[in-house]
Amino acid sequence: MIEVQHISKCFQQNKALDDLSLSIAEGRIFGLLGPNGAGKTTLIRLLTRISIPDSGEITFKGHPLTDEDVAHIGYLPEERGLYKKMKVSEQAIYFAQLRGLSKAEASRRLKFWFKKFEIESWWNKKAEELSKGMQQKIQFIVTVIHEPSFLIFDEPFSGFDPINAEMLKKEILELAAKGATIILSTHNMASVEEICDDIVLINHGKNVLHGQLNEVKRRFRQNRYRIQLEKSDSADFSFVNEDNPLFHVINRNEDDFSTFFELQLNSEGCANQVLESFIKHGNVLSFNEILPSMNDIFIRTVNSLNHQQ
Amino acid sequence: MSKVSVIIAREYLARVKKKSFIFTTLFFPIMMAALILLPLYIANKADKDCTIYVLDDNDYFINKFQNTSKLTFVYPGDELNVLQKKCINGECDAVLHILSGSQSNQANLYYYEEPPMSLKGKITEQMDKILFDQSLVDTFHIDLQKFKAIKEVSRSSIATLQIDKNGQAEKHTVEINRIVGMICGMLIYIFVFLYSSIIMRSTIEEKTNRIAEIIVSSVKPFQFMMGKIIGVSLVGVTQFVLQIIFVLVLLTGAQFVVPQLINEKQVTEMSEVSNMNTNSELISEDATINAQDDIFGNISSFYSFPFKTILFSFFFYFLFGYLMYASLYAGLGSATDNETDSNQLIMPVSLPLIITFIVIMMGLGPEHPVIRWLSIIPFTSPIAMLYRLPSGVPVWEFTLSIALLVATFVGCVWFSAKIYRIGLLSYGKKVTWGDLIRWVRIR
Repeated sequence: MIEVQHISKCFQQNKALDDLSLSIAEGRIFGLLGPNGAGKTTLIRLLTRISIPDSGEITFKGHPLTDEDVAHIGYLPEERGLYKKMKVSEQAIYFAQLRGLSKAEASRRLKFWFKKFEIESWWNKKAEELSKGMQQKIQFIVTVIHEPSFLIFDEPFSGFDPINAEMLKKEILELAAKGATIILSTHNMASVEEICDDIVLINHGKNVLHGQLNEVKRRFRQNRYRIQLEKSDSADFSFVNEDNPLFHVINRNEDDFSTFFELQLNSEGCANQVLESFIKHGNVLSFNEILPSMNDIFIRTVNSLNHQQ
Repeated sequence: MSKVSVIIAREYLARVKKKSFIFTTLFFPIMMAALILLPLYIANKADKDCTIYVLDDNDYFINKFQNTSKLTFVYPGDELNVLQKKCINGECDAVLHILSGSQSNQANLYYYEEPPMSLKGKITEQMDKILFDQSLVDTFHIDLQKFKAIKEVSRSSIATLQIDKNGQAEKHTVEINRIVGMICGMLIYIFVFLYSSIIMRSTIEEKTNRIAEIIVSSVKPFQFMMGKIIGVSLVGVTQFVLQIIFVLVLLTGAQFVVPQLINEKQVTEMSEVSNMNTNSELISEDATINAQDDIFGNISSFYSFPFKTILFSFFFYFLFGYLMYASLYAGLGSATDNETDSNQLIMPVSLPLIITFIVIMMGLGPEHPVIRWLSIIPFTSPIAMLYRLPSGVPVWEFTLSIALLVATFVGCVWFSAKIYRIGLLSYGKKVTWGDLIRWVRIR
């Protein structure tokens, strides 16, 4: 759907994007991750044609991205606002018109969305009369009203209460199910794990990690497992403290009924052998691999890169 | 183009629909009319009929004061304290006590309730006249009739006439040209700053509200800026046209009132005063007549004004002066997060206009070389040229001024558009002129 090829963008001395390449597949939810100042917003502004890259190319559905394509893009900026003194319906129609809809069409679709969100009573309200969460809903509608095939959400959940955040998540998944391609830029790693199919991690304007979410997580697996064993008088786990060629314990805790070990397998170790050795000593209740969270992957990647420099 | 028109429509309607728009549209002409009419009204209202009790210790002025439609002099012959009591009781409005002996040309005017402001002057005038006439006869032994004849032959008057290229002379007064030019310049000054700062404020609002980011993801910043500038300029034109119509309505209404005020009351009173002493001639009479000549001369020359040229130039300089400043204000407004910062940035841009305004207010004539140069320099010409125009401007200077203004306007839009597209999305850092120049260089 979108190919970003060797893009660079400088602001004075500061290189915001440095030979960045990535591709966004059609119909998928794409997590755009990176520390503050990594260049995420700059990239989004290039994708929405707000600014133009210094070098490199962006293709959209196979052709170079042009101003006309903006009509197919929906963008919910991180910093977003509304005209305070203007009726929300009027300004939503205004924004939709700027996206290329006719006034009548915009009004028709807006009614649909107001009905869907059960906010018809807000139609004639001014933005300043609405709470922040209410305004966010309007902004979401403004983003999707022209039915774009490509959507960019920059920190969409900030400012939403859990109920509205859940609703927004549902809407985003629904849009994706209908075939829209979605970029989700966020620092909220939990929501990335919940809804993203693919991710890219940008640091100092460079693509430092990308791929399918699950595949990336597997790539960062560290051969760590968590085993839960039943507590009993006969169970003796003293063997775990000895020098074991297969693994070493990184964490141990217990509750009233069971003991938990977090194990780091050694290079020779394999999960089956480890499990066998535990079975000899006690009753195994569960055994699973600890995959790193996106949070861990994020921190580890960025930290290791920053240390290299 | 259609997106720009959507923006223009919003910017226009959002402002025209506001209550404050209707208020300012009506308020300004009403205030102007009030400023003109109120003093006349007050002057008339204040001239109520007065009865003056005269007490002269020397009996010199007795029966010599002339009664007018407003003033009645009575000589009751009572003591001062009796007269004062009568004044307190409301029998008369004031007591004039002319002092005795060597102070016979001095008097005290006692009153209980504040009399009209003009009363003291009117009485003094009469006393002066009585003393003047009397001294002519008594001290200098000059016959009053002779004196009147001398005055008659020694009266002169000057009319000011302006000649154009064809040698046609037209009765003009220099002052009226200046005043019309000054008013036009002042209006442009007010409008340019008023509407430019509207643009600036709304740009800052959109930026701090982060509406800008949503909008520029749909339209080019340049389209957004131009839509805004044009939309607000239409608001200005609408407001101005409405105000002109309203002023005309007010003035037409006032015409039925004002001439009555001037002609019937003041003029009749003037003639009353001048004719009151039939066998004497007044020094002030000439002044009065000349003043009348001047007023009516000015009004007639006002109607013979090159209205079309001035109206065209007014709209032209208003429009382009506004467009030039508005684009600069938009650009500089976009570079800052608050009005305080942007006012600092704007200072060097708005200073020329302010200086021009001050220079004109200082009273430099339209022909002064400084004004001439200011009327050609684009940043100052909207005011300075309008100031000069009624007094006549060579065609080449006028053309040059217009050409420079249009060229500068294009340059300013280009410059501002460059800043706007970056400034609108840059937050936090306080921007300097150095930064702005750097922004312009960015592709």
